[in-house]
Amino acid sequence: MSKPRVAFFDFTCCEGCQLQVANFGETLLDILNLIEVVTFREAMSEKSEDYDVAIIEGSITTEHDVERIKHIRSRAKVLVAYGSCATIGGINGMKNKFPLDEIGKYVYQDKAKHFPTLPTRAVHQVVKVDYFVNGCPVYQPEFVKVLKCILAGIPYAVPDYAVCVECKLNENVCMYDKGITCLGPVTKAGCNSWCINNGNICYGCRGMVTNPAKNGQMDILKKFNIALDWIINKLDMYNKPRELDERK
Amino acid sequence: MQYQVLKKSSFNDFIASLARIEKVVAPVARGYNTFSFQEVKDGQDVAVKYIPTILPPKKYFFPQREKLIEFNKSAGTLEALLEYEKMVIFGVHTCDLAGIQCLNMVFSDKPKDINYLVRKNKIIIIGLECNEYCDQYASCKVVDNHLPNGGYDLFFTELTDSFIVHVNTIYGDELIDKTRLFNPAEQIHLDQLEAVRQKKREIFKDEVKVNHNDLAKLFDKSFDSKVWDDLDARCIACGNCTNVCPSCYCFDMLDNLNLDLNTGDRTRMWDGCQNEPFAKVAGGENFRKTRGARQRHRYFRKFKYPVERYSRYFCTGCGRCTRTCMAKISLKETINALVDSKEEKK
Repeated sequence: MSKPRVAFFDFTCCEGCQLQVANFGETLLDILNLIEVVTFREAMSEKSEDYDVAIIEGSITTEHDVERIKHIRSRAKVLVAYGSCATIGGINGMKNKFPLDEIGKYVYQDKAKHFPTLPTRAVHQVVKVDYFVNGCPVYQPEFVKVLKCILAGIPYAVPDYAVCVECKLNENVCMYDKGITCLGPVTKAGCNSWCINNGNICYGCRGMVTNPAKNGQMDILKKFNIALDWIINKLDMYNKPRELDERK
Repeated sequence: MQYQVLKKSSFNDFIASLARIEKVVAPVARGYNTFSFQEVKDGQDVAVKYIPTILPPKKYFFPQREKLIEFNKSAGTLEALLEYEKMVIFGVHTCDLAGIQCLNMVFSDKPKDINYLVRKNKIIIIGLECNEYCDQYASCKVVDNHLPNGGYDLFFTELTDSFIVHVNTIYGDELIDKTRLFNPAEQIHLDQLEAVRQKKREIFKDEVKVNHNDLAKLFDKSFDSKVWDDLDARCIACGNCTNVCPSCYCFDMLDNLNLDLNTGDRTRMWDGCQNEPFAKVAGGENFRKTRGARQRHRYFRKFKYPVERYSRYFCTGCGRCTRTCMAKISLKETINALVDSKEEKK
């Protein structure tokens, strides 16, 4: 089998997820035995329009983005949404809480008309996505797993259960026992409860589980005396564009 | 029956000298009234008074993640792996002893689980009696686990200024000999032990409205109960209840290929019936789609199915599922609700 040609592209994002690849260390050498990287702005000057696998970081926020992602989709055999911005809209999604012209004026003031913008969308809300690598930033071991699935031509299923599952296996003290609100109970696992293992809370960067039990969650908020709009704000930090999925 | 006595003032020395002989794990305080079994070197590290740990000692017999096989595709080879470690677990409460007894039955059943059984033979268990209830969530009396019922090498009961220790196996006896800190129990110690047990018989009462023997019958008639609809509305399927249960033993198998795309391993990892994908099969069919059906399954796997197969309840009364539930679903309340809903029908 010849090495698949892999191209990295960034849209609206901080490029931090691509940095995770550059930061792989020795594993990167093993990875480069399996793939040929042909475009990767962060790490090399060469570019190519000829690729098999397109790895997309960032969300879609302008008309130009829409055209560009459609073009990439038409050339790629496999398209991977990579990182929170690409998989769920991520931080950029917070924009969707405000009217677009208001947001434009706030950021660009009287020059706003030169920067036309669209509501933030995740990549799958614009073109078909074959693989999802969630997280802000992506969890390196999961990216390796997905890469192996791509090479083997088999699907990768993002675990569709709560971060709590992995967190319990790691025997962390529950944040709720510490009196701290954590988004683990509604967030998809797959990160091995990375943040909680290191003393932080879950911010919901991997997106919500598909079946989050609304009634039960409301009960929990009541029991722990957590205000609904407060928790929704927390969720919206990464997950605001989920509403575009719900509307479909 | 052989009883020995360890002075409380010698407890730290006991753990320290034990730790020089073997790896010792014991309950350690993690803050926020939580505990976990961890390696200890000295008695001061041990939380002698503790409520059930986040995970039960099951993790030493049946680890959360365990490599079972390593393979090499091009060479066509498979190698079975068996990683184990000799250790002493100190401070296992009677509920968790019962949990280990349940797992022993399951993993000795055909097909035998060699990894589990080998590991079990390398682990020495020192039990520790609860002289009173650990908290309001425990339900050890109704499943008859509040008093020791075997499953240990040594068993400690705290008396006024000493521990009285029941020596149950030759391995336990060896530890007594090696550490040289014990004296044979005298009548006064045995009297104190009997007083502790007598007091326990008064304190520990059936925690639910149904007695030990009628629990299985209650579940026989509860499959269609409305109670499961209530749990369906409240459960968020975070899987905490099954992950912390000392008698849950479901697992998933994963084949991992290394980056050379030639070698790899087969790993098993704890899985549980509360997780959305657990009962999903090829084609997308899910045999237990609703959270209520999954909760019912969990209860039936504690109070009905194992009674039919192994003649014992697989609930150990430790209370972990209630303690850890995000939605505050309570085992005791669920059982009482089943009793009540049956009575309403009459």
